[in-house]
Amino acid sequence: MKKKYGLFLLSILMVLSMLLSACQQPTEEAASGGEATGGSPAAGQYYRLVTHGGDDPFWAVVQQGMRDACAELGCDADIDLAGGDLANQQKKFEEAVASKPDGIAVVINDDTAWDKPVEDALAAGIPVIGINNDDTQGVAGNARLGYIGQSERRAGYMMAFKVFSEAEAAGVDMANAHVAMFAEVPGAAYAQVRSAGVKDAMEEFGITSFELADAGGLEMTTVESRMTDYLVAHPETTFLMGAGGICTDRLMSALQAAGKEKNEVWAAGFDAAPGTVEGLKEGYVTNSIDQQQYLQGYMAVYVLYLYNKYGLMPNIDTGGYLITAENLGLIEELSGTYR
Amino acid sequence: MQRLRLRPITIYGLNTALTFIVTFLIFSIFTPDHLFLDPRNLASMAKLTPDIGVVALGIGILMIAGEFDLSIASIIPFCSYIFTQLIMSGIEPVLAFILVFPIGATFGLINGLLVVSTGLPSFIITLSTMLFWKGLLFGLSHQMPISILKYVSDSSIEKILVGQVGPFPVQILWFLLFAVVLGLMLHQSKFGNWIYATGSNQEAARAMGISVRTVKTVCYMIIGVLCAWVAVMQSVRLGSFAATQGIGFELKTIAAVVVGGVALTGGVGSMLGIVLGIFIIRIVENGLILLQVPVFGVELFIGVAVVVFVLLNGFVNRRMARLNS
Repeated sequence: MKKKYGLFLLSILMVLSMLLSACQQPTEEAASGGEATGGSPAAGQYYRLVTHGGDDPFWAVVQQGMRDACAELGCDADIDLAGGDLANQQKKFEEAVASKPDGIAVVINDDTAWDKPVEDALAAGIPVIGINNDDTQGVAGNARLGYIGQSERRAGYMMAFKVFSEAEAAGVDMANAHVAMFAEVPGAAYAQVRSAGVKDAMEEFGITSFELADAGGLEMTTVESRMTDYLVAHPETTFLMGAGGICTDRLMSALQAAGKEKNEVWAAGFDAAPGTVEGLKEGYVTNSIDQQQYLQGYMAVYVLYLYNKYGLMPNIDTGGYLITAENLGLIEELSGTYR
Repeated sequence: MQRLRLRPITIYGLNTALTFIVTFLIFSIFTPDHLFLDPRNLASMAKLTPDIGVVALGIGILMIAGEFDLSIASIIPFCSYIFTQLIMSGIEPVLAFILVFPIGATFGLINGLLVVSTGLPSFIITLSTMLFWKGLLFGLSHQMPISILKYVSDSSIEKILVGQVGPFPVQILWFLLFAVVLGLMLHQSKFGNWIYATGSNQEAARAMGISVRTVKTVCYMIIGVLCAWVAVMQSVRLGSFAATQGIGFELKTIAAVVVGGVALTGGVGSMLGIVLGIFIIRIVENGLILLQVPVFGVELFIGVAVVVFVLLNGFVNRRMARLNS
C-alpha cells in the first residue's frame, strides 16, 4: 500500500513535469509554422546551440538571443548546457548531430577535443559554427565555418588596460602593484585566455605580480567569501579582477567586507550582472567588458539560417564593449535580460 | 510505549569542540599578523557562514534520523525565485518572506512523503527531486538573474535579515538562534529522542510505538523551512535572484555535519557538534587562505580535513559504544 502510494506520487510528478515541459515550448512552437511565410522565413528549421554553460545567468542571456531570433525567423532551436563538463558537452554534440539539425553552434573550449566532432558533423552535411569560445588558432585549428563571439584575449587586455590606465593616472605605483584575478573555473578556456590578455596589459604598464585564483565555482556566497578572505590575507593587492560574470558581480561586496575604500583596490571584470552594475554605480568597480552574449545566441541562429539560404558565413566579434559608470544607462535597465 | 530517557548534549559533541578549539587557536596564532582575529575577517565569516550554516542545521538533524537530502541545492534558488516574483508583483517584502515559508515546508513535505512511502534510499529520491525542481526552475526563470535591489534596499526586511546589531551581522545571531531552538528540540524533547531512535534502529523505534514516517517527514519539512529562510536572506543580501544560489550546498552541508560528528549511518550526533562542524569547515577554508596557501589548494586541504575528522569521530564513537556497553 505504501509503495503504491509512493509510486502514485512519483507518477503525478512525472506527468506534471511532462506537462510543464510542454508548456515551456510555446516560444519555439509558436514561432515555427507549417509552411514558410513572409513572417516565418525559417519555418520548419531547427538549430542547436551546444555550450559548456551551466546555471549562471550569462547563458540565460545567450538563450534569450536565441529565442528572439527564433521568434523572428519562425524556426526552432535548443540550447545545451553541459555545466562545464567537456565530456558531457561532447555527448550533447553527438546527440545534436544525430538529431540532424539545420545547423549547430558549438562553444569550442578546447583546442583538440572538437577537431574531429566538428569535422564529422560537417562531413554529415551539418553546418557548424563556433560561438563564445574559439580554437586558439581560429580557422587554422578547427574546421568550423565561422565564429561568433568575443576575442577573449583582446577582451582581457581591454579590461585590464582601462583599469590600469585609471590607476596610473591616479598615481598608483604600478611597478609594485599586485593583480589578483578570480575565476569561477580557473582551468576553463575563458579564464586562461582572458588572464593572458590581462598579462599583455600588465607588460605595458610594468606590472609583474599576478595570481589567478580559484573562486570556488558558481555559488555566489562561496565566491564572495573566497575573494574577501584573499583581500584580508593579501593587503598588497592593488587590482582585483573577475574573470567571469559571477566573480565580477561579487567584487563590490568582497571589497566592502574586507574594509576597502573605493579605489583602495581597483576592480574590474566582465559582463553586466546586477551586482556589477551596482559596483560601477557606487564606484567600487572601474569598468567591465560586456561580451554582448545576447548577440552570440541571436546571431548564431541568423548566421546559420543565412548560410543555408545564401551560403554567407561572416565572423562576428560581439565583444569588447567597455562599460563604465558613465555609459551605464541602457545597460543598467537591461542587466540580466539582454545584457 | 517504553519511556525514553531524555538525551542531554552528548559527549559525542566534545571531541568536535576540542577540534574547533584547536583549529581556532592554530589559525589565530599562525596567520600573519594574527589576521584570523582581524575584526573584518571575523565579521565576514559571521556574515557569510549562516548562508550554508542554517541549512546544515536541518541536514544534521535529518542525518541523525538516518536520511539524506540533496535537494536543498534546488529548493533554495526556487524559494528565492518565488520570493522575487512575490515582491515584484507588489507584495510587501516582509509578507512575501512569510509566504515563502509554507512553500519551503511543502518542498520538504514532498521529499518526506516520497522517502517514507516508496522506501527507496533518500539519497536517490532527493537527488531526483533536486533535478526535478532544478529543471522546473530553469523552465520558469530561464536562469535569468533578477535584480530586487530597489525592492529591498533600506527596507525593514533588509534590516531584519542582513542588518547589524552592534558589531554583529544579524545573520550570525539568527543562525545561533536557530541552533538553540533546534538544539532544544533535538536534545530536550520527546521528538528529539524519536529522531535518535529512528536513526539508530527504525524497526526498534517502530516497535516502541514511534511513528518513524512522521519523524522523517517532519525533519524534511524543517529543512524546507530553513531553505526558505536562507533563500530570502541570500536574495536580500545579494540584491538579486540568481539561479546559482545554493549550488554545491548539498555536499558541503553533509561534509560540515560529518565533521561535526554526525554519523552517516544515523543515530549519532549533536547540535553542538553540527554547529562546530559548520564553523570548523569555514575556519579551515578561511584560515588556509589567510596563511596564503594557494587558493587552488584550499579544496585539497578541506577534503583531507573531512576524512581526518570522520576517522576521528568514528574512533571516538566506537570507543564510546564500547564504554556504554
